[in-house]
Amino acid sequence: MNATARHQFGRTDLPEEQQRALRSAVRWEIFTLCYSAVTIFLVAIVVGNSQSMRTAWVEDMLSTLPQIVFLIALPMVRKRPTTQHPYGRHRAMSIGHLVAGVALLTIGGALAIESALGLIRLEHPSIGTVNLFGHTIWLGWLMIAVMSVIVVGPFFYGPAKVRAARTLHNKVLYADGDMATADWQTNAASVIGVLGVGMGLWWLDGAAAIFISIGIISDGLRNTRVALSDLMDQRALRFDSTAPHSDIATILGTLHALPWVADAGVRARDMGQVLHIEAFIVPNEAGAGTERIAEASERIAETSWQVQDVVVTLCDEIPAEVTERITRAS
Amino acid sequence: MRAARRSAIATLALTVALGTSACGITIPSDPEGSLESVEGGTLRVGYAPDPGRIAEGPGGPTGPIADVVTGYAHTVDADVLWTLGSEETLSDAIDQGELDLAVGGFTEKSPWTDLAALSRGFLPPGTPENTPMSVALLPMGENALLSSFEAYLDEEGLT
Repeated sequence: MNATARHQFGRTDLPEEQQRALRSAVRWEIFTLCYSAVTIFLVAIVVGNSQSMRTAWVEDMLSTLPQIVFLIALPMVRKRPTTQHPYGRHRAMSIGHLVAGVALLTIGGALAIESALGLIRLEHPSIGTVNLFGHTIWLGWLMIAVMSVIVVGPFFYGPAKVRAARTLHNKVLYADGDMATADWQTNAASVIGVLGVGMGLWWLDGAAAIFISIGIISDGLRNTRVALSDLMDQRALRFDSTAPHSDIATILGTLHALPWVADAGVRARDMGQVLHIEAFIVPNEAGAGTERIAEASERIAETSWQVQDVVVTLCDEIPAEVTERITRAS
Repeated sequence: MRAARRSAIATLALTVALGTSACGITIPSDPEGSLESVEGGTLRVGYAPDPGRIAEGPGGPTGPIADVVTGYAHTVDADVLWTLGSEETLSDAIDQGELDLAVGGFTEKSPWTDLAALSRGFLPPGTPENTPMSVALLPMGENALLSSFEAYLDEEGLT
């Protein structure tokens, strides 16, 4: 048995590039948690009676969910399969993703309703002053200052996470980076809300809060949808869910190149970071023995670091449900 | 979705920018113009007597908090129109826009936060020892008036 075959099931090592990306991702996730702790504290000091500030504050707290999910799920997905968990624990990432999505959805919804009720009841937000080093300063200016300063962080860690997510094919990480990249909109909205209150346009605060809540809801919907689709074993897609996963075509091409293969089809399950592959092969008149099956399985495992748990089945005909297939022209 | 969000932000920002430049607005300002009507006019103040802080007197209320109110009215060049009432009546009157300010036994633990804005806590000289800090009730969202009153408290070193 060679190295590839040994790694066929429940592989826990990663190629150099993915190891680097993973280390970077973990560092960024921990950094983000610390950064968020600081911003949550700073906003808590100035949050006052502004609904948009309060909504942005809750969003800050919610934004730590993907990081916590990622850091908790990571050691799980890297565990080797056991008798109890014969496929490993790759789904931990998707389950965490689902939990984060549902949390965003419900809390975002609650915030939207609260903000809308405030507007309907014509609640005029009161923002008073603070005494800072002997000067009386309108608290709104401090709110704007805090929101303008803390907007900087996500511009750095957002794209860094998206880059790592691309290399690692990790959808939680991608969602986290993607949400961080859009985070400035929350800060901008709360600044506009507070400025509105300052100008006597009291409704702008509630309007900004609704805008921020809708952003949270749409993040929740997107995350829930992606996590559910993966848990329901949809066709394997790219890390950003925009196109079919390219490894499938590569695997089909690899099988196509084997001289004894007449027809081949593949079913792939996206397990979060890795793919579980079932290959169906119709051998030609040359026939196939266990050696050829082992060869096919090794070739498939070699196509990408993501390809794991390869099962090769010989059949007379590719089952109709297996739609990812090629047919060799005779 | 993304594009829609961005353009919504741009529209809001534009509203704020136009609003500010068109009206030469000062920040903070009052949606109902309370401070403007108080300055050089009348400060409508409700009071609920509270031992040691404010009491009924022959020519209007007396006590440390009454002094704070008259001191503030003086700085904004306003005459004080006093109304006597219970704390609940005063809170409702503030909510209805019938008063600009309410004082009495209100503290930072006041339950009337749904009806009125609370000022920062203050402790005027002459209040009995171990009394919690007083707050004044002001109309919700009238942030210029609130800021002007709090600035007075700071200037007098009462906070």
